[in-house]
Amino acid sequence: MKIITQKHLQEWLSRLAGEMNLVAPVNSKGKMIYREIKSPEQIAWGFERTKMPPKNWYFPMTESILEIKQGKETKITEPPEPQKTVIFGVRPCDARSVIAFDALFLNKPPVDRQYARHREALIMIGLSCPQMWDTCFCLTVGGAPNSKEGLDILLSQVEDGYAVELLTVKGETIFEGVTFKELAIKVDEPQIHNGLPALRKSDQWMALFNDLYWQKLSDSCLSCRVCSFVCPTCRCYDVRDELVALKPGLKEYERLRAWDSCTATGYRRIAGGHNPRDTKEKRLRNRFYCKFMYYPEDYGSLGCVGCGRCIDACPVGIDILEVIENVDHLLEKVQINV
Amino acid sequence: MTKMNKQIRAAAEKYLKDSIVSCVIGYEEDSRGRIRPAFIEDAKDADRLIWNATCNLNLVNYLHQRKLSPGKDQPVPKTAVLVRPCDVRSINLLISEQQIKRENIKLIGITCPGTEINGQPRTICQFCMERTPVDWDVLIDSDQPIEIPSAEDIYEDIKEMENWTPAERLAYWQKEFDNCIRCYACRLACPGCYCYECVSEQVDPHWTSIALDVPEKMFFHVMRAYHLAGRCVGCDACEAACPMNIPLSRLNRKVAREILEMFNYKTGDDPEEAPLLACFDPHERLRT
Amino acid sequence: MPESSTKTNIQEQSETTDLIIPSLASITGIHDLANNIKLIQVQLDDLAKREVFIYKPGQFVEVSIFGVGESPFGLASSSARGDTLEFAVNRVGTLTDALFRLDVGDQVGIRGPLGKGFPMDMYKGKDILVLGGGIGGAPLRPIIQTVIDNRADYGKMTILWAARSPDLLVFTEEYDHWCSQPDVSMHITVDQAPEGWEHEQGLITTLIEKINPSPENTITVTCGPPIMIKFTMMTLEKLGFRPEQNWVTLEAKMKCGIGKCGRCNLGEKYICTDGPVFCFAEVRNFLESYV
Repeated sequence: MKIITQKHLQEWLSRLAGEMNLVAPVNSKGKMIYREIKSPEQIAWGFERTKMPPKNWYFPMTESILEIKQGKETKITEPPEPQKTVIFGVRPCDARSVIAFDALFLNKPPVDRQYARHREALIMIGLSCPQMWDTCFCLTVGGAPNSKEGLDILLSQVEDGYAVELLTVKGETIFEGVTFKELAIKVDEPQIHNGLPALRKSDQWMALFNDLYWQKLSDSCLSCRVCSFVCPTCRCYDVRDELVALKPGLKEYERLRAWDSCTATGYRRIAGGHNPRDTKEKRLRNRFYCKFMYYPEDYGSLGCVGCGRCIDACPVGIDILEVIENVDHLLEKVQINV
Repeated sequence: MTKMNKQIRAAAEKYLKDSIVSCVIGYEEDSRGRIRPAFIEDAKDADRLIWNATCNLNLVNYLHQRKLSPGKDQPVPKTAVLVRPCDVRSINLLISEQQIKRENIKLIGITCPGTEINGQPRTICQFCMERTPVDWDVLIDSDQPIEIPSAEDIYEDIKEMENWTPAERLAYWQKEFDNCIRCYACRLACPGCYCYECVSEQVDPHWTSIALDVPEKMFFHVMRAYHLAGRCVGCDACEAACPMNIPLSRLNRKVAREILEMFNYKTGDDPEEAPLLACFDPHERLRT
Repeated sequence: MPESSTKTNIQEQSETTDLIIPSLASITGIHDLANNIKLIQVQLDDLAKREVFIYKPGQFVEVSIFGVGESPFGLASSSARGDTLEFAVNRVGTLTDALFRLDVGDQVGIRGPLGKGFPMDMYKGKDILVLGGGIGGAPLRPIIQTVIDNRADYGKMTILWAARSPDLLVFTEEYDHWCSQPDVSMHITVDQAPEGWEHEQGLITTLIEKINPSPENTITVTCGPPIMIKFTMMTLEKLGFRPEQNWVTLEAKMKCGIGKCGRCNLGEKYICTDGPVFCFAEVRNFLESYV
């Protein structure tokens, strides 16, 4: 195995910070979040799981998808290529979110060119999880604390450093020149949770669509959007034309897209006031069904990576793992009654 | 089981058994031992109810989903809600703004030892002198000792902020709002925010862009603080709901202090009182 | 060593116009169609784009007024009849209000054609029952035009048109022309009829039962408010129409129009890409109700 020391890792990251955007977990008032950094000194070593996923660097919170200049002529252009960006410290669950995003934005025509540009410019250096934490459930949704999917490089902590696995051409390329040793070291297996609930297949969820469970579950929901915003795979977005500048003879607009969530009350409200998802029950149910039924049926990938952030962030304690477990129990009953 | 929990459950059970209300809104513990809101509709489920210092949302907020008649000729549902002294002031606010009627509500009030946000005692709890709700139908004593502070100085950290220059204040809030993800949890956890369509989301008029950038987030938070002027009860449900630990209480209490000084007014004293900023008394004159 | 997983094919949309960047277009006509409803006619500025902008009845476009916004509108014209795109606009919100204030010569953006249209080939040799409610008649008009322009390919066409009141009927000036075609008949009904009203009064469902069309070798196409679609389908079922014979076009709030933003789904179906045209046999199995 290739092994690098902490010292050489930091030297490498310093070099990368000079060549491209370096993003890594930092401690912001006690919350671990990914930020663009200038030096590996800023990294919050020893973090568990960040509050927000790194999806902001391939699916930004806000981005322009078109730039429109109306003068004598109207010119519409797409935004410039994003800067090359390397994200260090990506947990395997977060890395798997690109599988879901690729399935939607790249593999199903038409290609979302903005997303494709971000992916081209992106390199992800993963950090394997030594254990699963309180609200983690990656195993339930086909992931693992040491999964390599979606990553360019995977680092795993070993005594005196990290084991390095180069997974793609991009990974190999940025690793060139880094000092490492070849050692026969075995990486410890991560500590996992036993007894996690089983996730029912997407076609089974259909039977529970009209169950009263969703109404009970949604009583406490605030329709606030936190779950979607901390989620590595949620991708609903709002689009609006916004003014950039008004000069004599020239109007500049940008077509922005920004994160949104199907849980918001007005998400499906049309001009005139009709709202087909007018109750919290319908909206919350849609979110779970989208992740576990619609997304897999439409794009061939689950819409959840089991990171558990929504469980931590929900202000009213709605727990996606509890939902998975309840769906399993409710389906048992349904199947017994059939 | 604590005496307090026993009494909460007994009150809920009675209200439901006697069909005085169709739902009791309180708190329960989930399988991870965390607190979350509970909607008890069956008397036999009343034993799910508990209360502890992590119960820091304002359950009065949920009355907005039970304030209208569900259909033609059907009565508005009756609800019992568990309230701290600060929460109860929201009841008076909503009554004065004609959102709810007192006769449809039963208040299970508690004498409050203070609550926590993110494992820390709330700033204003440390200075709060109002440990008994101004209104209640059932009053349940806290099983923890209540220390009434010697002085009410809920604005200590506000004073610190007032000593900063405007540039320092701006820098402080810009840094805070950089972490904001514009999820609107604060707004949706607040019983005072019940607009059908929030200014921050309106297309027409186009007040602000949809961008999740600092200027837009600052606009939202400052606008919301202004819209809550004279209406915020200081329950801090907004700060409790915030996933990014933004000190929203500081912003709202700054506005509340101004209101107190200008109008000698504290939100939620009296449901009969007209809403402060909705009414103009020609004899009012701001101090210059 | 596998190729980097980010190697992608960033394809240009060579078969038709770009679906992400709006094509510039100019308004060539604005006509009052009904009360609070206008018909807007546009032509793409780029002549080469006009050539490739071929669309089926039932497809839609996303119309932009730059700086104001973008909304989906069903196309009310047929590409076989020329390169003018027509769509009906009901003034209900910000963008439609802005559209109402535009003039001939003003610029808009057009993204499209989007969505799945009516499978006209499948309807060949069959009788067609066209059921339009209010502004819903607009996306059905290209079906009527296609049948008329290819008369021998289709059987009898019966058009049932409904509106709340006479001032909400759309394309009134074309009814005589439609009816003058061989084997085309039309019946009109309004909920509220004024004095001296010569046509039917009542809901479209009442009219359908009165006409009592035979389901034999017939296809129905329906567009209108969701509640109208619901009751129309029930009535057709009562008269012996199987769900496979009935086709509908649905609507929902949209943003991207190309199946990426996640907004317009009914269950796992996206109105913008799996629809807006659906066979009712599929719709009635939808997890989420379209009503």
